[in-house]
Amino acid sequence: MKDAVLKLSFTPITLQQDGPRIYVSISTAPFELKEGRAVGLDFPEPIQITALLDTGASITVINPQLAQTCKLRQTGFAELLAAGSSGRYPEHAAAISFPRYGPRGFEAIKVVACPIVRQPYSCLIGRDVMTRWALTYDGVGGHVTITE
Amino acid sequence: MDIENKELSAAFAVFEQNRAEWFRTHANEFVVVGDGAMVGFYSDYESALKAGLQRFGAKKQFLVKQVCLEEPVFVIY
Repeated sequence: MKDAVLKLSFTPITLQQDGPRIYVSISTAPFELKEGRAVGLDFPEPIQITALLDTGASITVINPQLAQTCKLRQTGFAELLAAGSSGRYPEHAAAISFPRYGPRGFEAIKVVACPIVRQPYSCLIGRDVMTRWALTYDGVGGHVTITE
Repeated sequence: MDIENKELSAAFAVFEQNRAEWFRTHANEFVVVGDGAMVGFYSDYESALKAGLQRFGAKKQFLVKQVCLEEPVFVIY
């Protein structure tokens, strides 16, 4: 299979100050949507947001409000150690995809719902997602390249 | 967004009671626990979630947990 390559372009100063951003779509896992709708449950359409590619995050984190809006199923708890927000937080199942882009999405991945201090982001894409990628950061040119 | 979720807390208690034993035979696999009992072990989170939905349906809660000897701490720098 041919590698999917995505080049995200910014100005060098924007990349340095804001970090690498990527559009993501978040929703309940498609097989849960099907199951839930069959028994009369209501789910919102996938929500598209700008997320931060955060190599400092070992797991993908979303704001609790986003988990609530998307009606993500809670599947457990996670211990999180973060600046300003450490403790035990709900773990949810989410479908994450990258509309407009090449990388494959995830039909179901666990995400932790924890208030994110790095505004304006409501999602930090962590290294759990990046395990599928080769990620190149070009601070001189202002580019981030994802190869899958 | 309920860290005091009673159903999941009860399922987690079952997990804790069996963690060491399950780790011996199913290290790093994903277990599904609901209604006070273990449903099965799966190679990945997605498969475990599907199995839980198949067993309990979309209206009930169940725990999906990777079988580790110690609780992992996720770090955000």
